[in-house]
Formats: sequence, C-alpha cells, structure tokens
Amino acid sequence: MGHHTITEITEEKYHFNGRSKMIAIVLLVLGLVLAGIGAMQVQNHWNDAQTEEVATEHAEGAHHNETPAEHHGEAAGEHEAGTHDEHGANWMSRVWANLLMNSYYFLLFAVGALFFLAVNYVANAGWATLLKRIAEAMTSYIAVGFVILFAVIVLAKDQFYHWVTYFDQGLAPGDAGYDGILESKSWLLNSTSLYFLIPFIVIVWYGIRMKLRQNSIKEDQEGGLGYFRNSIRWSAGFIFFFAFSFSALSWLVIMSIDAHWYSTMFSVYNFAVTFVTSLSVMMMILLYLKNKGYMEMVSDEVVHDLGKFMFAFCVFWGYIFLGQWLLIWYANLPEETVYFAARLEGIYRPMFFVNIFMCFLLPFLVLMMRNAKRNPLVLLVAGLLILVGHWVDVYLMVMPGVVGDHASIGLLEIGTTLAFAGLFIYIVLNSLSKANLYAKNHPYILESANHDVGP
Amino acid sequence: MYQAEIRKPLVTGGKSYADVTNDICRPIENKPSSSWWLGFSVALVLLLVLIGTLGWTTWEGIGTWGVNKTVMWGWDITNFVFWIGIGHAGTLISAILLLFRQKWRMSINRSAEAMTIFAVLCAAVFPLFHMGRVWLGYWPLPLPNAFGSLWVNFNSPLLWDVFAISTYFSVSLVFWYLGLIPDIATVRDRAKSKGRKFWYGFFAMGWNGSARTWARYEVVALILAGISTPLVLSVHTIVSFDFATSVIPGWHTTIFPPYFVAGAIFSGFGMVLTLLLVARHVMGYQDYITSEHLEAMCKVILLTGSIVGLAYITEFVIAAYSGYEYEQYAFMNRMFGPYAWAYWTMMTCNLIAPQVFWSKWARTTPWFIFIISIIVNIGMWFERFVIIVTSLHRDFLPSSWVMYKPTWVEAGIFAGTLGLFFTLFFLFAKFLPVINMSEVKTIIKDKE
Repeated sequence: MGHHTITEITEEKYHFNGRSKMIAIVLLVLGLVLAGIGAMQVQNHWNDAQTEEVATEHAEGAHHNETPAEHHGEAAGEHEAGTHDEHGANWMSRVWANLLMNSYYFLLFAVGALFFLAVNYVANAGWATLLKRIAEAMTSYIAVGFVILFAVIVLAKDQFYHWVTYFDQGLAPGDAGYDGILESKSWLLNSTSLYFLIPFIVIVWYGIRMKLRQNSIKEDQEGGLGYFRNSIRWSAGFIFFFAFSFSALSWLVIMSIDAHWYSTMFSVYNFAVTFVTSLSVMMMILLYLKNKGYMEMVSDEVVHDLGKFMFAFCVFWGYIFLGQWLLIWYANLPEETVYFAARLEGIYRPMFFVNIFMCFLLPFLVLMMRNAKRNPLVLLVAGLLILVGHWVDVYLMVMPGVVGDHASIGLLEIGTTLAFAGLFIYIVLNSLSKANLYAKNHPYILESANHDVGP
Repeated sequence: MYQAEIRKPLVTGGKSYADVTNDICRPIENKPSSSWWLGFSVALVLLLVLIGTLGWTTWEGIGTWGVNKTVMWGWDITNFVFWIGIGHAGTLISAILLLFRQKWRMSINRSAEAMTIFAVLCAAVFPLFHMGRVWLGYWPLPLPNAFGSLWVNFNSPLLWDVFAISTYFSVSLVFWYLGLIPDIATVRDRAKSKGRKFWYGFFAMGWNGSARTWARYEVVALILAGISTPLVLSVHTIVSFDFATSVIPGWHTTIFPPYFVAGAIFSGFGMVLTLLLVARHVMGYQDYITSEHLEAMCKVILLTGSIVGLAYITEFVIAAYSGYEYEQYAFMNRMFGPYAWAYWTMMTCNLIAPQVFWSKWARTTPWFIFIISIIVNIGMWFERFVIIVTSLHRDFLPSSWVMYKPTWVEAGIFAGTLGLFFTLFFLFAKFLPVINMSEVKTIIKDKE
C-alpha cells in the first residue's frame, strides 16, 4: 500500500453552531407547522368523508382485526363506540398514529447505535473505532426519544391498542362482544406492561449507555486499558439483555396494535429494521461531517466497510422479511394471513411493494459494486432509500391497525417526520459537539486510522 | 496492516516457516500412533454397524423402525437435521469468518470444513434410506418420466432440500479440496516413496507454486467464499421450511429460519470443539490452536446458544400470547407431557450450559470446554427430537395419539453414522494436513 502508517490521532472537535443549528431548528419548526396544517386538513377531510365511509364499511364488512369502525365509534352496536366518543374527533387517531410511528422509528436509530457500540466492544473489532463518537452521539437521543414515545403511548393508548378499550369494559364470558382471544392475552397486554415494563427496559438501556459514554470520555482524559475492559463487560451484558428486552418492547409497542395477530419473527424483523437504519443514519452523519471538513482521518476504507455493513443488513432484512412472509403465505392460516391481507389492499398495497424495493432490492443493487461503497453520492442515495423505505416499513406496521383505510400520506405525515428529524439532528449533533470527534485513547483507534479493506 | 499492541499472537511458540511444515506434515509422514489405531478401530466397528443396520432396513423395510402413521418422522429426520446442522460450523468458519476478517479461523478451517463434508454425508443417509427403496434414490431429482419416476413437486420444501443440500455439499467439497491443493503439493514435494509421490502428485493437480497459480487460486477461493455465505444460510433455512411451512403446531412458526441457522452454527461449533480439543491434544498442536482460539470458539457457543435460547423463549411466549389453543397445547405437552424429560434436557444443555462461558476460566480450560461441547452436542440432538416427535405424537386427532420409541435398528443407524463420521475423520487426520499450512504461514507473525 502506498500510504504511510498513521501513528498519532489528531484532536478534533465538532462545532455545532450557525447554519447546522439553524437547519435543525427550521426542520423542527417547519415540521410542526406542516403537521399542524396537515392535521387540520385531515380533520376537515375526515368530516367530509364521514357519511360516505360509514356506508361503504358496512357494505364491505370487516376484513381485519381492527376495522376502522372500531375506532370511529360510528357504527351503532359496536362495543367500543362509547369509549371512543369521549376522546373527541377520530381524525386524532391519525395524528397519534404519526406520533407513535415516528417516535418509535427515530428511537430505533439511537438504540441501534448503542447495539453497534456494544458489538464492536464484544467482537474486539478495531476498524470502526473512529466512528465511535458518532454512534455515541446517536445514543444520546434515547432519553428524549423515549420520553416522547412513552408520553404518546400513555396519552393515546386507547387509540393504538384496541385491547386497552376492550379491557376497560371488563366483559364477562357470555357478554356481547366478549373476546376470548384478547382475554387470554391479559397476562401480557395490561397497564403494568405499558407503564412499568416498557420504561424499565429503556431505563436499563440508557443506564448502560451512560456507563459506556462515561467510560469513553474518561478514557479520553486518563487513558489506560481499564475503561476499555470495563466497557467490554458492560457491552456483553447489554447485548444479552437487549436481545430479550427488545423483543418484549417490539411486541408491546407495535405487535399489540394488531392484538389478535402474532408472529415469532416479529421481534427479529424489528431488530433488522433497527440495525440497518441506524447504520444508514451513521453513514449520513459521517458523510455530513466529512463534507464539512471534519473527520479527515476516516479513510475511504472505513467508509467502505460501513457501506458493506449497510449492504449486509439490507440482505439480512430481506431474509427476515422473506422468512416471515413466505411461511405465513405458504401455511395460509387465516389468523396469520389477516395481517398481510390488510396490508395488501387500498393505499397499503403499493406501499407494501415500495417497501420491498426500497429496503432490499434497490439498495442491494446500488450498494453491490465496490466503487459504490466508496462514493459519497451513491452512499447518500442508498442511505436515503433505506431510511425512507423503512419509514414506509414502520408506517405499514402501525397504520393499518390504528387508522385502517383512512390512512394517506399528506402534510401531516411529512411534517411529523420532518419535526422528528429536526429534533433528532439537534440532539445528536449537540451531543457530538460535547466530546472529541475521535476516541483518541481507545486501544484500537490507530487500527481504524490505518484501516485497509484488502483486495 | 496496522495492529494494536494489545492484540495477542495467533500462533505461539515462536514457530518458523519450516516448523509449520514439519509439525503439520509429521502425522502424515510417520506411522500412525496406537491411539489413532484404537480410535480408528472403534469407528470402523461402528461403521460396520451402520452397514448392517442399513442392510437390514433395506432387506426388511421401514417396518424395522419405530416410526408409525402418527409419528412418521422419528430418529431419521432428527439425525438428518442433527448432522446437517453440524456441518454449518465449517462453512461459517471458512466463509463468514473470512468476510469478517477473523484470522483465527486459519488454523481451524481445514478440519472444520472436512467435518462439514463428512457430516453432510452422514445426513444424506437418513432421507435416502427412509425412502424405503434406496435403489430408486435418484427419483427426487427432476428427471423425465421415462426414468420411471414421477415429475417432482416443486412446491415441496423437501425438494428444495434436495437442491439446497446437494449444492451445499458440492460447493463445500470443491472449496475444501481447493484449499488442500497447495498443502497436498507440499506433502508431494517432501514425499520419499514412489506411491506417495504418485498419489499426492495426482491430487496436487500439477501445482507449481508460481505467482500466476497463486493469483488465480486466490480469486477462486474468494468467489467460493462468497457463494458459500448465502449457501450456509439457505441450507438450514430450507431445512427449517421442512417443518415451518406445515400447519403442525410447534412446527409452523415464523422464527424458524434464523433460529435453525443459529442452532446449526451452535451445534457445529460444539462438534468442532469436541474434535479439535482431541486433535490438538493428541497431535500436540497447542501452538496452532491456542487458548485464544478456544476462547473465541467458546464465545461463538455462548452467542449462538443464547440466540437459540432467545428463540425458545420467543416461541414459548408467543405461543402463550397467540390465543391459539393447539399451539399452546403443543408447548404444554413439550414441557409437561410424556416427553418432558427430552424438553428439559434440551433446555438445560442448550440454554443453561453454555452460559458458563461468561467466565474466562471456563473459556480457557480445555477439559471443561470438552465437557460443555459434548453437552451441546447432546442438547442439539434433543432439540431436533423435541421439535419433531413432541409435535407429531399428539396431533389434532386424539384417537391417533401414540408414543414413539426407536428400535435397535434406528439406534444402530445413528451410532453407525457416528462411525462413518469418525472413520472419515481419522482417515483425514492420517492422510491430509489437518491445519492449512500455507495460510498459517501467512499469519505466524500476525495477531488476532
């Protein structure tokens, strides 16, 4: 190789000011304004369309677990009618659903970054050490992101989870509307799980995140191998806890929206979404920093390997998607196919295919060539494909169960997403500016600086 | 490539290039030891058991087995999946760890790949003989009806298995043989007798060690590694489809594909450890297969064992959550039914036992690792038994409920495949270099 060996790490700090700060704030404000306008549009449209929809719903009959009728409280005789009317107009379902999907989606980026940090410690990997601070900064969003997610769940749980309104009624066997299947799930689907299990899980994650971050900062100041070794232990513990707790979180927050449906692959599927999206966000931040003239030490070799990871986990997502889809399609059991049936009609049908293209087929082709993984522009395109694709993915997990065939993509969806993006960018870049860009005393930092992917 | 100070060397004992060649060629060039003869004889006796029991099955029919109309798959498919799973570690080490640039794979990949090939051969015995008329064993291939067979059903995962496993076997064999060529040439160049010169020369395919030969060789090796990676995932995914595409409670569950792959790697590493700990001790290869290697493999066991445990718990929780009484019954029957002892053996061996590897002492103490590796092998065999037999023996129709007991013939066939496996492995250890000399020479000055 032509280049000389790097033996010293330059100290570099990111300055979060001026335009960057402005862009994040503008995104946040603009997003909020757009979402507000969008929400009003939805409200008006909803009232206009009301009469017509009720008629068609009854003609078509109930296809999926959560027919929109359940959430409207429109249909006379629907057992949930009373509870929903108290919450006022139904257009709010769509607003809440947007908040849920975006607060969940952006939280996944931060959680995935924490997983990335932990994996690198446990696997004794050196190549990504220069990127460590980006991942650390991403994890700082866990706190704010979780507070928003939790607040959304607490405030609008009856909008998302029809089991909440069902259990509120306290029906006995034999009553009209008694649902034996939901009853059998009461050991998991209850307010203790929502109010205590979910916060417990995320607080443990955040605690470990604080420990890893603290170790990393102290290592910068004091050096030595002690913090490194200590971080390995915490990382191993985190991965073990994460595997089980993330599964539980994905069941409670997302899978229970369609409370009758179940799939053992669901938690693995959500993990696949988490990891590939957080790798893509990491790549976006890296490209942004390099574009601003920071992180000169991160060579094309490291960028290339991060690109390989994006590629690999696109394929992993495709594998997990296929595993879940093919088995449900092949066995053709109505209690399982109902989930995909709901996602293959109306507005969801094109999105279902867009999802597969944007999350697997297109990035697979775009990222396949060696040169693609070394070209910032191509990586930007691939990253955007993946991030927008998985936004659609999470949309498809949340919307059919919450708003049914009232879903649409408008200013509300775009605005909410922009607002979350602004918030995420602000928090992450702010955290990034708090420490050196390179973990200069990490024992593997020079390996990363001198990284070479080989032939 | 720059390496951090704190990384430990991959090969210990300050070996020179000549030492590597001499150490690794020694067992091939000398007369086999008495321990080799002892092990080989035991394996050969078991191989005779295999031939006998398979002969009896062929002569008398599948009625000699304990399978019945309710439990139509018993030990046969259990053993099939067990052996296929064992094979996965070899491909993981040679292909996936190559992509992850894990250099510690280099002194263990040869024997792990050999193990893959022998394990797939053992696996092939079961479906082939379960067909009853083994002389018509080519019927699962899509042949024109003129051959007497019927056109195959492409909708069946069992047919996908035929393609997946035969592709996997071919690619693994080519990959393994390709890696052997430079080493066979080394043995050829050192050969004294005429016979050795001829045979090693024949299999070295005229290898001359020129730069051009090496360049081509490396390109082919990289391409084969690239092909092997999706293959290793696809094989066990398709094996899992044999069960998961059905509507049998306990079989039809969406997590099966990744869960089977993780389980296969877990069981494969269990067997790699069992074999390598013995080989390392008997052949004195402690400087090549160092305690760093053992530690890394134990960590893989811990990781994959925990993934398998996560899958068990996920399956159980979701069955409880499903509100689907047949699924719930299948799991209650596993845990508390007549085969509960098998279920709890599985849980203890696969979920609990590997957790000892959180301790560094456990990861670096060979005799202790050996015990755990045997436990893992047992546990993974029981996993397949539990999945197959407990889901079948009490099906939707209670009047068909039966118990399944293997006969001596089935036990003999399983013991016999162990004989086939170890016979092949002993022959491999005698006639071929068990460590990849040419690759190890590239890393003797390297660190993990």
